[in-house]
Amino acid sequence: MTMDYVKPLPNLNDSNRPFWSAARNERLCMQRCKSCLHVRFPISHVCPRCLSYEFEWHDLSGRGVIYSYIVYHQVYNQAFKADVPYNVALIQLDEGPRMYSNIVGVANDVPKVGDAVEVAFERITPDIALPRFKLVGSQP
Amino acid sequence: MHHLRDKTAIVGVGATEQGRLPGSTPLTLAVEAFKRAIDDAGLKKDQIDGLMTMAGTTSPEGPLNYLRVGEALGIDPRFTGTFNMGGGTAGALLQQAALAVNAGMANYVACVFGDAAATGGYRFDKAAGWGDSWGIWGFMAAAGNSAITASRHMALYGTTSRQLGEIAVTCRYHASMNPNAIMRTPITIEDHQASRWIVEPLHLLDCCLISDGGVCVIVTTPERAKDLKQPLVLLAGMGQAYTTRNMDNEDWWYVPHQRLAVNDAYAMAGVGPKDIDVAQLYDNFTSSVLLWFEHGGFCKVGESGSFVEGGRIRLGGELPINTAGGNLSESYMEGWLHIVEGVRQMRGECGVRQVAGAEVCLVTGRGRELNCANANILRKG
Repeated sequence: MTMDYVKPLPNLNDSNRPFWSAARNERLCMQRCKSCLHVRFPISHVCPRCLSYEFEWHDLSGRGVIYSYIVYHQVYNQAFKADVPYNVALIQLDEGPRMYSNIVGVANDVPKVGDAVEVAFERITPDIALPRFKLVGSQP
Repeated sequence: MHHLRDKTAIVGVGATEQGRLPGSTPLTLAVEAFKRAIDDAGLKKDQIDGLMTMAGTTSPEGPLNYLRVGEALGIDPRFTGTFNMGGGTAGALLQQAALAVNAGMANYVACVFGDAAATGGYRFDKAAGWGDSWGIWGFMAAAGNSAITASRHMALYGTTSRQLGEIAVTCRYHASMNPNAIMRTPITIEDHQASRWIVEPLHLLDCCLISDGGVCVIVTTPERAKDLKQPLVLLAGMGQAYTTRNMDNEDWWYVPHQRLAVNDAYAMAGVGPKDIDVAQLYDNFTSSVLLWFEHGGFCKVGESGSFVEGGRIRLGGELPINTAGGNLSESYMEGWLHIVEGVRQMRGECGVRQVAGAEVCLVTGRGRELNCANANILRKG
C-alpha cells in the first residue's frame, strides 16, 4: 500500500462500485444477466446478449487460463517507467468473461498461453485492491 | 452479377510528401493532397460535389473535419461526412463514395485525409477500453492489441518472430524502390531480430511508422471517367465487417470479421484469392498482415507464418504485397496510401516496383481496437 500511487485508478461510481468493493474483500464479482444468465465484463448497464437491464452481482471462482500474454518494454505512460518490462495477460475466466490483468509471482518469461491461473488481489490504495492472477500452484 | 461490380472508377489519387513535415497541419496536408488528386484526375475543384473525410489524430475539430476541410477547399458538397474508423476509414470512405456516385447523389467524390501525427506528437498510446480503462493493469497503446493477437497466434500455431520479420523485411525492400517512402534502407531478418522490444512479441521493426502527410482519392462513374486523364481503374468488389465487441467476442483477437469483409469483396467482384495479382494489406503491425493471408484465403488458418517465407510475398513472388512499402516503411497514412498504390499498380505506372501484368489488386483496411475491417478489389479497366 502506498499513498503516492500514480498509475491509472478506477473512477468509482454507482455502476462499478460493487466490482471494486468486492475486490477489496478479495472477491472477483461480475454482473450476471437475470434474464439469460450471461456473465459480462466490462461493466455495462445492459446485457449485450439479450438487452435485459436486470442483473445481479455474481461471485466468480477467480479461476481461468491465460488466453494471450504480452510483455511491455516501451514506456507509454510515465507512471509505468519503473515497472518495465512488465506483463499483461488476457485472462479467460472459467465463467466466460475475459479481462486484462497481470501475472504475479513469477518472472516474465515463465507464464505461457494456456496456463491455469487464479486471482490474487493486491491492495494498491486504501480503497482499491487490483485483481491480478498467479499461476495455479505458485506463490504470489 | 452484382449490380455495382465495376460501376465505380477511381480517377484521381494524390499524396503529399511524407515524413516529418514541420509547419504542416492536418488541414494543410489534406488541402495539398486534394490539389494533387484533382490535377492527377484532370478535374477542376468546382466539379467535386462529394467530400468524405477522415480527421487526423491531430485534427482539433475531430468529427467536424468535413466542415473544416470543405471550408478550406471552398466546396459546398451535395454529399459529405467524416468517418472515424482508424485504419478502416480509408477503405470505408472509398466505398461510401462508390455508393454515392452510383446513387446519383454526387458525381465526383473526393475522399481526403491529412495528419501531422509525427510533428504533432500523437503517440497512439491511449489506454484501451471504456469506463474503467484497462490502463489500470498497464494495457495500453495500439501495439498492445496487436501483440495480444501475435502472442496467441504464436502459441496456437507455432508462428515465429522471424516469420513476422519476413513481412517487415519485404515491406522495406519494396519501400527501397519507392522514392516517396520514408524508410528506404533495406533491412535483414537479423536487423529485425536485433531491434528492441516494444511490446513482446513485437519488436520495433514490427511496428508501423508515425508520419505526417496527406492523401486524397477521387471517385466517379466509369462513364464520366472516360473523359478524364488517367487509365481506367475500376472498383470491382467491396466489403466491410465489424465487431463492436472486444472482450465479449469469442474470437476477437483473430479478427474474424476480416474474413467476412474479404469474402464479400470477392463475391461482388467475382474473383477469389487465386485471381489476386498484387495485394496492399493493412499493416499497422507485421502480425496484422498474417491474418489477412488467412482470412483472404491465401493459406489455411494457422499457416500464414510459413506462407510468408521464401519470397512468396515479394515482388517477383506469387503474391507481392505492400509494393510501396506499406504503413511499415512507406508512411503511416492509416491505409490511405494502400489505395493509392493499388490504383497505381492497376494503371501500370509503378516503374521498378510494378507487378508485371497485374490486373487485380486486393486492398484491405482495419482500424480501432481490431474492430473495423474492409476490403476493396481494384481492377484494371
